[in-house]
Amino acid sequence: MSEQDNLEELGKSALARVAQAATSAQLDEIDTEYLGRKGELTLQLRKIGSLPADQRKDFGQAVNDIKVRITDAIEARKKTISGGEIDAKLAAEAVDITMPGRFYRIGRPHVLVQTLAKIKDIFIRLGYEIVESPEVESYHYNFEALNYPLDHPAIDEQMSFYINDERLLRTHTTAYQHRQMEKRKPPIMVCTMGKCYRVDAVDATHNHTFHQVDCFCVDRGITMADLKGTLYQFAVEMFGADTNIRFRPDFFPFVEPGAEVAVTCSICAGKGCNVCKGSGWLELAGAGMIHPNVLRGAGIDPEEYTGFAFGFGIDRMPMVQHGIDDMRLFMDNDLRFLRQL
Amino acid sequence: MKLPIGWLKELLDYECPPRELADKLTMAGLEVEEIMQLEDETVFDVKVTPNRGDWLSVLGVAREAAPLVDGTLKMPDPIIEGASPAAGESISIDIEDPDLCCRYVGAVVRGVQVKPSPGWMQSRLTAAGMRPINNIVDATNYVMLELGQPLHAFDLSLLHNSHIIVRRARAGEKIISLDGSPRDLTEDMLVIADSDRPVAIAGVMGGLDSEINEQTKDVVIEAANFAGTSIRRTSKKLGLVTEASYRFERGVDPSIAKKAALRAAELICEIAGGEAAQGTVDAYPCVKEPRQIKARPERANAVLGIELTPQSMAQHLNALQIETSLEDGLLVSMVPTCRPDVVSEIDLIEEIGRASGYENLPLTLPKARTKGMDSKEGLFRDRIRRILMSCGAQETLTHSLVDSNLSELCGCDESMIRLRNTLTEEIDSLRVRLVPNLLGVIERNQTHEINDVCIFEVGKVYFRTPEGVIDEKLAIAGAMSGNLWRNSWNLSSEALDADFFLCKGTIENLLDALGIKSVQFAPTEDTFLHPTRCAKILVDGVEIGVLGEVAPGMLEAFDVKGRSQVYELDFNALMGCVPDTLTYHHVPKYPALRMHMAVVVSDEVKYEQLQQVIAQSGEGFIEKTELLDVYRGEQVGTGRTSLTISMVFRSRERTLTDEEVNSVLDNVKKALSRNLAAGFR
Ligand SMILES: [Zn+2]
Repeated sequence: MSEQDNLEELGKSALARVAQAATSAQLDEIDTEYLGRKGELTLQLRKIGSLPADQRKDFGQAVNDIKVRITDAIEARKKTISGGEIDAKLAAEAVDITMPGRFYRIGRPHVLVQTLAKIKDIFIRLGYEIVESPEVESYHYNFEALNYPLDHPAIDEQMSFYINDERLLRTHTTAYQHRQMEKRKPPIMVCTMGKCYRVDAVDATHNHTFHQVDCFCVDRGITMADLKGTLYQFAVEMFGADTNIRFRPDFFPFVEPGAEVAVTCSICAGKGCNVCKGSGWLELAGAGMIHPNVLRGAGIDPEEYTGFAFGFGIDRMPMVQHGIDDMRLFMDNDLRFLRQL
Repeated sequence: MKLPIGWLKELLDYECPPRELADKLTMAGLEVEEIMQLEDETVFDVKVTPNRGDWLSVLGVAREAAPLVDGTLKMPDPIIEGASPAAGESISIDIEDPDLCCRYVGAVVRGVQVKPSPGWMQSRLTAAGMRPINNIVDATNYVMLELGQPLHAFDLSLLHNSHIIVRRARAGEKIISLDGSPRDLTEDMLVIADSDRPVAIAGVMGGLDSEINEQTKDVVIEAANFAGTSIRRTSKKLGLVTEASYRFERGVDPSIAKKAALRAAELICEIAGGEAAQGTVDAYPCVKEPRQIKARPERANAVLGIELTPQSMAQHLNALQIETSLEDGLLVSMVPTCRPDVVSEIDLIEEIGRASGYENLPLTLPKARTKGMDSKEGLFRDRIRRILMSCGAQETLTHSLVDSNLSELCGCDESMIRLRNTLTEEIDSLRVRLVPNLLGVIERNQTHEINDVCIFEVGKVYFRTPEGVIDEKLAIAGAMSGNLWRNSWNLSSEALDADFFLCKGTIENLLDALGIKSVQFAPTEDTFLHPTRCAKILVDGVEIGVLGEVAPGMLEAFDVKGRSQVYELDFNALMGCVPDTLTYHHVPKYPALRMHMAVVVSDEVKYEQLQQVIAQSGEGFIEKTELLDVYRGEQVGTGRTSLTISMVFRSRERTLTDEEVNSVLDNVKKALSRNLAAGFR
């Protein structure tokens, strides 16, 4: 057998073993056995000195060729084998993806605060400055400054919690108006919101504490049509483009002319249902042109300036929107309720 | 007020289906809240606003409805032949206090027979919501409902000397009112008296011993006009609201008194027999005339935002029975005495707006251009809310009206504000703190088997300053209890339950998110909190709030199971600590080296002291320290604690060598042994 044939045999058996190897460890063994410092092929290469000079080049070339073929085969086989090994490893790491996820629950905003936030955004876009306002008010700002006649039945509609003869819990957010008028100069467009209180028995649709929003605008040339347009704009942004408003006369001592504003019932789209008692309308706000007496009392000349004002309770809005049937849920803070909205 | 439609038809000739009429009235400001169908009558339930006392009668509604349905008003016109002697010969009337009674009309019917009123009258009264009593009283009530004039009937024989005196009550006078209650009268109350004693509380209720009874033969009918504010005060003082007082408070037309007295006499003759005396006695010391008011048509258009001609404005007002003419471009109106609510130009403008229809107002927006923005409190509040919600807290809103006993329990009694009047004892004061409310929320949820609770509220608290000033401010509070992880299977529940450090971590997280540095937690005292597990929170040395575990006594008082952690911060104090801008510091360029050490110190040594010594001895190379583990037990001996602390070493100028770091660490350890008698493991 020639040295060449011998070399061929060696290569064949090496490649066969590579093909049969099942693990990367076996391949490493083969690698050492043939290609290592004391490997078969390395030994073959050392024979080169004993060969005739004219054969040396070819022989060297042949050994190198086989070396490359074996190296490549080992690499290829390694890839195949390790792919399978990783697969097996990953398979052993399987989790039951239907088991529940672990998390730290984030909190939600209270549903009434969500409603207030939406309202606030609309009025900020309409040019109103949101201001803070006290809940413990004086009789003066809550009633007198708002043109409530002394000893008038209009005050009975707003039964108040008193602290003493002078101080009470505001019965409406409107109480802040005079304070604002006193310290600002027209044009004034401000809005406030917060808790109000009336002595009212608590049931599913009444609470002694409720939340109101109040806005007013004073400038030259403000008209009742501006009031109507503003409330229409608000209603559309708040309740949707198909919303309409109904404006009808009503009485509040601090406005003249006064109006009650209703919006299309969102439950029945105005067709009439039990939520709107068949009328197709839901009461939204009390509104009107600020009474000249109120402007005058705050040092604003009613001949030069006119203004409008409106205020509304917001507790009923999420009740209609989410089908909540009991107002008490808002302040009960049952997490089974709060976490739904 | 209940309004039978058949009755309205007697006073108004019109054609209009009830539903449509109801809509028209509602759009004119007289809201028809409900249309009720009785057996043989349709009844409107109308909501009369407090300014429109004139609507509290069939006549008033007919007057309002007339222009809406193009109807013709048919005013009752009682015609009485009258027998002698004339009314003036049977009774005399003196008004001693004309400031409280501008008119008093008396009519007399003799020879009546008191018995139940006829069926038609009873069913009308019932439909209108009144209880039939006897024919005389029913006739007076009937006329009140029809014309709006409250009436009262006396038995003439029971009026001493047939003398009617309208005067303020005298000190110590008493009366037994019709409902059988003895009433103490005061000098500010107006009474009707005979020559000896009060016989009626004017405008509120008659007296028992002059009332119509089965023996009554001769009747005196009173149709008077009393001052609303006086009636209101008397009614409030006596706690007695009647159909009469309700109407007087809202204003009664003095012009209708005589007609009403005659109408009642006519009806009494018809249903109780008897004969009316000729005429009436009419004491009318302060005659009320129609009020002249002028209005500028251009002003009306400017306020309403419409363009009506002066002529059509005058037409609208005339249709409302406000007689109006145009003089020199001005609307000159004579407002009838039945409309005391119309007193100035703006009131006429409202009438013009009402008559031309609010539905016809255009939709415009104010031309004023102002900058819309949130308040700085509103902006900060939203920022706080977002951070706390992402820290896992559910937002809540709780009541400001609370039980004073709970505030007292929490040691807040000195600054607490009590209400003078209330509904129930559970809401007799204003909250001084938020945390008791939040503990209440935990308790209520625990009753529903919800034991893992993390909540917060940003809201007002109310207090009296040491100087006695009543004030309010915003506060931020949170509470947590139980395991706040969801589905924490395979994790140890002891480690997961909300404890003092989770609560403290929430505050640290909040302050960090707000960019607030130099925060310190120091021991404090707080009735509500566990004495050895609570802290006050200081920023730059200023206290902004407290946090801690709820005191066991409070948990018991609130009936809360397990431990609860709470915090409460002053909103404005916190807002004041927030830096306006944050300055960027370069991200470190050079690598860090991390080293651990286990320090053993006496239990008395606070972690904060360790941190200080490390910082001082670290030559500025220790970027941060972290607490990895705390151990107390046999291996370190009693009274001692082992703390494993990780330190990150870094220079902002160069890469530190191992030798440098080891030398700094050596320094730190030496300083710890020297200053805190620390050992190392
Ligand atoms: Zn509806």
